[in-house]
Amino acid sequence: MSSPANGNPRPFAPRYPQLGTGPVPVTSAVDPAYFELERERIFRGMWINLILRDSELPEPGDYVVRHLEAQDATVLVVRGDDGRLRAFHNVCTHRGNQLAPQGAGHCAGFQCGFHGWTFDTRGRLVFVSDEQRFHALDKAALGLPPVHLDTWRGFVFVNLARRPAQSLEQAMSEFNADLKPYPFERMVLAGRYRYTVNANWKVTMNAFQESYHGAFVHKLSVGQCISPQDPYLAVQRIKLQENGNQSISVHLAPHAPSPAEKLAFDFGATFTQGGDATTAFPGTAQHEVRDWGFDLNIIFPYSRINVGAGWYYVDAFWPVAHDRTVYELAYYFPMPQRASEMISQEYSKIVLRDLSREDLATNEATHRSLRSGAIGQMVLSDQEIAVRHLYHTVAARCGRELAG
Amino acid sequence: MSAAGLPAPFGHLSPWLAFALPSEDARMRRRLAASMDELTGLYRALVDEMPAIAAHLDQWPLAQLPEPQKPLLYLALAFMEAAMAVEAFQQPGPPQATAPDSLVVYPGRAERLLGGS
Repeated sequence: MSSPANGNPRPFAPRYPQLGTGPVPVTSAVDPAYFELERERIFRGMWINLILRDSELPEPGDYVVRHLEAQDATVLVVRGDDGRLRAFHNVCTHRGNQLAPQGAGHCAGFQCGFHGWTFDTRGRLVFVSDEQRFHALDKAALGLPPVHLDTWRGFVFVNLARRPAQSLEQAMSEFNADLKPYPFERMVLAGRYRYTVNANWKVTMNAFQESYHGAFVHKLSVGQCISPQDPYLAVQRIKLQENGNQSISVHLAPHAPSPAEKLAFDFGATFTQGGDATTAFPGTAQHEVRDWGFDLNIIFPYSRINVGAGWYYVDAFWPVAHDRTVYELAYYFPMPQRASEMISQEYSKIVLRDLSREDLATNEATHRSLRSGAIGQMVLSDQEIAVRHLYHTVAARCGRELAG
Repeated sequence: MSAAGLPAPFGHLSPWLAFALPSEDARMRRRLAASMDELTGLYRALVDEMPAIAAHLDQWPLAQLPEPQKPLLYLALAFMEAAMAVEAFQQPGPPQATAPDSLVVYPGRAERLLGGS
């Protein structure tokens, strides 16, 4: 197959003419008022990927609490004693105190620390201290306020809207062919990482939507995966969905591995292995892309399910404020049966962690500069069409047209 | 964790025991706080022995790895930290990177299984 670098250098723009080719304004990344608009028009109504597998809460009473800054909400996800997973607002229906702190645990129910009101794992109010002094208390109507919860291939999503505009299945429908068959259930959590980033969520995400930066930002960390024939890792496959979702395939040049990398290759699936993988992985673009490495599957607005040959990672760019993001990444591998597999997986975890730290440093520097107002717009190459697509989708949802 | 050092036949690697920490978070922070002399020393001491270390540890299923063997596994995992420093960056961490103090590393299933956190 000929390298895209030698063929049509701008193959993607003609496929998505509605996105145009002109510069993209940076206002939405730096204006605090725009962030409030996004909160109202996007974050509160979308299905939010909690970076959580339903298998991570296997037993009745297992729960997690997540503060969702972008939605101004704190959410409690708990498996009920009937086996069903539910989500609630993490709030006591008495006077609004928070029921459980952020984190995970196991419980028989939730007791509010303020006055002892107690809720069971199905969210029902089961105990009110000194109940006789209340006036006509209807305990059945005072259960925890529910939050919409659904799962897609075992990934737990919540939606803070009173009535979600669409089901999770509808929101993920275009991933049914490309991603759904991936063997997620064969893998378990290998590591989880959280970073605080001083940058807008879109600026943070942008570096994770293209390969063009690889030759510069990652020239030391994964320079071995970049060949002189394809120095800018020109992406071969990009699919942009009407609803903002995206799929981008990253390829990695075959290379002579370093001693540590060779050790990792010998004992398991590896982040940098690329086209050398011999097993077929359904739900990926492995057979469509030369030297395929992995697919980045972006679920609008701000999470991803990224699948490789024997591993996957799920991440989110949690918006906190217009200039602050929490980047969270969970990495999944088959459960190592022997020490050698764990050693192999450690290599990939360390590479991805170092790469993430390189990306996030660039995001912070970019945001600092954009804030100055020195440039009002970004000029984007065909390789950066997913960045363009994100700004277009956000603008359309916020009722602001972007100039093409 | 065993205070006795490393199991035979790897006792000669005991000078590197300070890197044999039971969590990824601790190993990462130890690496980033280390000098390049230390990391290069660790890397060179282990690079040729890693296949033998892996073969030795693979005598047991990971879930039944005896307690005295665990420091050897943790040292092998620390080797991978040192390898990125030595093979990729020629310095402990990436030259342009977000500060590690904003990073929290949580254990995965294997680390929990070993009781490393």
